[in-house]
Amino acid sequence: MASRVLAQCVRTLARSSARVSGGNLAVRAVAAPGSASHRSFSVISNAERSRVLEQSRVSIVSVWCRQYGDLPPLTLETIRDRVMYVLKLYDKVNPEKLQTTSHFMKDLGLDSLDQVEIIMAMEDEFGFEIPDADGEKLMSPADVVQYIADKKDVYE
Amino acid sequence: MAAYLTHQQKVLRLYKKSLRHLESWCIFRDKYRFYACLLRQRFNDGVGEKDMVKATRMLKAGEEEFWTNQHPQPYIFPDSPGGTSYERYECYKAPEWLLDHWHPSEKSQYPDYFSKRETWKKLREQSWDREVAQLQAETPAGGPLGEALPPARQEGHLPPMWWQYVTRPRERPT
Repeated sequence: MASRVLAQCVRTLARSSARVSGGNLAVRAVAAPGSASHRSFSVISNAERSRVLEQSRVSIVSVWCRQYGDLPPLTLETIRDRVMYVLKLYDKVNPEKLQTTSHFMKDLGLDSLDQVEIIMAMEDEFGFEIPDADGEKLMSPADVVQYIADKKDVYE
Repeated sequence: MAAYLTHQQKVLRLYKKSLRHLESWCIFRDKYRFYACLLRQRFNDGVGEKDMVKATRMLKAGEEEFWTNQHPQPYIFPDSPGGTSYERYECYKAPEWLLDHWHPSEKSQYPDYFSKRETWKKLREQSWDREVAQLQAETPAGGPLGEALPPARQEGHLPPMWWQYVTRPRERPT
């Protein structure tokens, strides 16, 4: 039982390193008879697990690489999509009339208190504080996107 | 920005910080939403006030109510002052003049940047006197009023202290 688990672990590591090194046939030849020698039940479960692992692994740089936890990097498109999504969720904003360049007060007819609430929603969305002096100047979604890109060093 | 805040700015800042402290008190989102709507209605009722004396009295009452009802440990964003991650990466932000002290073997790893860097530095040499002259002309006698720098006034000139802004370190130096 334990030996079967260990053999599966070794096979998984060998398979992943084979993928990394660009298909070493010798390694694959080692891996294949190892799976064939077991019962059919274990072979099917292993094949399913390897399929799941292949699907879940998006990109492997190397097997022994240290990985830190962080958010995915921001791009201008993702910032713009998130800002427009949050604005469309606001009930005082008409989603059909919302454009990137639409002014909050003139085009969308919002109040200064509404603008404060929108800036607070942007703070909650992106996880950092927008000071009052800067926040009162942001009057359109394009301004907000530009400000967030300035603060987060996106496409500088 | 001028040295003093307008009445509208003070009211908006009171609104924002009262909403943030309310969010710290009402941790469940639906409860927060309910009390936030009530607070918004209270602010909306006082919006149309034309008499500035009464309006400032209402603002003062609002600030005192905020002071008595504030949260002892409000939620502070990590990157803002008082937060957990404030200035955490400040020690890794290196100034740009260190790039001049690199060894040529290190500089050869980034040839296109360092070839452009010489032209940028020449540009800085040329525009520095103009920037200083503009700042000396525009700053009032008692010192600058705020931190904001003026933009470039003439065609072809660069804004003052542009080099410091352009070569600023990243927010998260890796």
